[in-house]
Amino acid sequence: MNAREASFHRPEKAAAVEICCVRLERTLFGVPITHILEIVGSVRPQPVPLAPGFVGGLVHYRGDVLTTVSLRQLLGLPPRQGPQDLLVLESAGGCFGLLVDSVGEVLTVSSAAREPNPSTLDERSRALFAGAYKLQDSLLVMLDPERLDPMRLGATHAA
Amino acid sequence: MDELTREFLIESLEGLDRMERCLTDLEERPRDIELLAEIFRSVHTIKGTTGFLGFKRLEKLAHAGENLLGLLRDGKLAVDGPVVTGLLQLLDGLRSILRTIEAQGDEGDGQDAELIARMAELQVPARAPANQRVPAGAAAPQPRDLPAGSQPQTPAPAARVPEVADAPPPQPAADPPAAAPQNPPKGEAPSARPRAVSAAESSLRVDVTLLNRMMNLVGELVLTRNQVLQATAASPNLTMLSRRLDMVTADLREAVMKARMQPVSNIFSKMPRMVRDLAQSLGRRVRLQMEGQDTELDKSLLEAIKDPLIHAVRNAMDHGIELPEARQAAGKCPEGTLRLRAAHEGSHVIIEVGDDGAGISVEKVRQKAIERGLITAARAASLSERELLQLIFVPGFSTAAAITNVSGRGVGMDVVRTNVERIGGKVEIDSRMGQGTTLRLRIPLTLAIIPALIVRSVSQSFALPQGALSELVHIFPSQAATAIEWIEGAPLYRLRGRLLPLVFLDRLLIPGAQHKPVTERDNFIAVLDADGRRFGLVVDGLADPEEIVVKPLSAALKDIGIYSGATVLGNADLALILDPGAIAIKARVGMSAEEESAREAAAEQDAEAAKPVEYLLVEAAGRQAAVPLEDVLRIEQLPVSRLEYVGYRPVLNFDGQLLPVEDAGGVLDAVLHDPAARVVVVVCRAGHRQVGIAVSHVLDVAAGCAVSEAGSRQPTGGVTLLGNRVTGIVDLARVPPLTVGEALPAAWEPMAEALQ
Repeated sequence: MNAREASFHRPEKAAAVEICCVRLERTLFGVPITHILEIVGSVRPQPVPLAPGFVGGLVHYRGDVLTTVSLRQLLGLPPRQGPQDLLVLESAGGCFGLLVDSVGEVLTVSSAAREPNPSTLDERSRALFAGAYKLQDSLLVMLDPERLDPMRLGATHAA
Repeated sequence: MDELTREFLIESLEGLDRMERCLTDLEERPRDIELLAEIFRSVHTIKGTTGFLGFKRLEKLAHAGENLLGLLRDGKLAVDGPVVTGLLQLLDGLRSILRTIEAQGDEGDGQDAELIARMAELQVPARAPANQRVPAGAAAPQPRDLPAGSQPQTPAPAARVPEVADAPPPQPAADPPAAAPQNPPKGEAPSARPRAVSAAESSLRVDVTLLNRMMNLVGELVLTRNQVLQATAASPNLTMLSRRLDMVTADLREAVMKARMQPVSNIFSKMPRMVRDLAQSLGRRVRLQMEGQDTELDKSLLEAIKDPLIHAVRNAMDHGIELPEARQAAGKCPEGTLRLRAAHEGSHVIIEVGDDGAGISVEKVRQKAIERGLITAARAASLSERELLQLIFVPGFSTAAAITNVSGRGVGMDVVRTNVERIGGKVEIDSRMGQGTTLRLRIPLTLAIIPALIVRSVSQSFALPQGALSELVHIFPSQAATAIEWIEGAPLYRLRGRLLPLVFLDRLLIPGAQHKPVTERDNFIAVLDADGRRFGLVVDGLADPEEIVVKPLSAALKDIGIYSGATVLGNADLALILDPGAIAIKARVGMSAEEESAREAAAEQDAEAAKPVEYLLVEAAGRQAAVPLEDVLRIEQLPVSRLEYVGYRPVLNFDGQLLPVEDAGGVLDAVLHDPAARVVVVVCRAGHRQVGIAVSHVLDVAAGCAVSEAGSRQPTGGVTLLGNRVTGIVDLARVPPLTVGEALPAAWEPMAEALQ
């Protein structure tokens, strides 16, 4: 894996990491801000009939048509009516959007507070999450933008 | 690969392309010093740069060629067939080394000794005629400055001799010898140089990805402009500003689109060489005529039509143009003519490949199609020649190897059609026995922006490319129960007496869900013709047609298969672009020809005497007339102010293309004083041109029956029986061509005749 991945797993020394918080139902998720190109508030994605279940639809973003992944649909939660917030993420395969209920604040946490995925986590979630940070009153589940790329999800979906 | 090498490769390959063009010209004008100088320069440039970059193999080969070219340029050696063939071999040699460098970064270790020897051999002025030449090794003197390592070790193999001997003799008839005296025999090479330099200074190489990005950004700007225009419509002080924004955006969009355009000469220039080589190997004598080479087309489209075009040229040479003896026997000039023509026609570019060969025997096409089970005999009998010719594009037909012996072209014509249709183009074929065949490719100007009809289904907008759309039918809820018929769950619609399979877009997109029954909603049938599959796509609503900017979809969505992209509409909504061909396949719509044969086999009992021809029934000034439906291209409704006059003939201007409008019914005269009035113009094909017919209304489409004059068995021309009424047929061929400044003969009015 790449250097970033390695730093997730073996924190040599406690470095400060900036993480954008995303809330979905009761769980707090985080995306490293280094991968976020832009945060767009209240978008209404255009649904794509016959698309794989995780696809949240299309949004118009700076002259391009962006395919979005709905975090809700990805985690098997019922879809939500009304506008959602959009994180424009960059991965090796290009840009894509991540649809979430709402985007929260940016936290600075110490990499020492990070734990790997618990072994009891089911297979599917383990493939999507990249460990969790222990915050004072809750856990912050890390999402790995590379693993959320629709192209990659599409491949595993088909398999 | 470093920047310098890449630059060198691009320049050298371009130089070689130029050289190839010059070489084929040289064969016709062997004494043209300018051409020789140009060829010399290309090779010299390669040699100069290559020494600097350290490509030894390339350097040696270029050097050998340069020696030969030097002699030719200085007039010490005359250009003849073998020399041109030799130089073409040199060109191929150089090109293959350059390709190797491009692919693997070094020159590879091929052997060029033979080719170098050939170059040396050609330098001997008093060569024996090629077919009785003494072995080269003995005769060829060693060029003084040939590097020691590359001495020719093997004589040129004898096997190549016949090939050289086959080279067609220079054709004095093709080009009047005027070229020779114009060019002084001594080297005037530098005269061409200043022009080349200025071209290099005024142009710039731009990465295609950058152009694509610019195109994207312009698309975005267009959209933002639309929104600004909407938002500022109410505030008068911003109107001027937004108007200006509107204009600048439109101009910018046009400029960026233009930047992506390349002349078709990029492809055409490869043809002389190919035609020459093919003519030699097939034993044909062919003269190539090219026209409209500066016609421009989007770069990506140009790439896409390259293969179909090469295929068409091969076909024309192989199956179209006959052997010289056969041509002479048929009383034709032994030398065949192959015409390549490119021209603009509205928002399309037409590319024609025409030959004056044997043509396609419609009779044999008919037999073959029946033999292959593509069509029933009864059905075949009812098809017009034009329809029969289209059968050669059906896959099952053309893969048959035997067709090449029968007549006409045939191998892989379906591939040509598929490739052209993929980019939104169309292929037509025209053939006359004994006179030749013309294949016409109709290509849209650009891929990035296409005309589309916006349709609604499952509460969303979708874009349907206009290219595949042939007509629209509206079925009201009250009619739906009877108009849409079912066979075991398969919906069908009777379109002018023929059953059209229907595909409901909502059921296709969201299978298994509860959909509103057809009797409780409006049904719009978009009749589509995609890759030879004809079906009706049923949607809930229609919006306006729009010029849409095509945006690619991510791979995850491409796999769904029925979308070819997405687009942003004028109201900032997103719409998925439907792919009619893929929908047809997904809905298992068969090829029309297969459908036809299956249907005919079941129902074909009542053999009809005369095949009904379909007519568009129009009304002008209270009287009815019929226009053959086959010739109708489209129907325009426009304000009368759009009409302009040449002399006293009304014309319409469509993007610089003038359409003469025939107004025998006096429809235009009646509304001329009212600038707000709208007129209906039926745009028709009349031979190789288009004409417009001004009418008051379009009434119907109906099948006509031939009528015969009492006492004669011959069908009467000019009239037909439409719904038991004798109706005059508008004779399109008699609409006089438009000549500026002509005095129009007032009595010459075919429409008026039809109305009587």
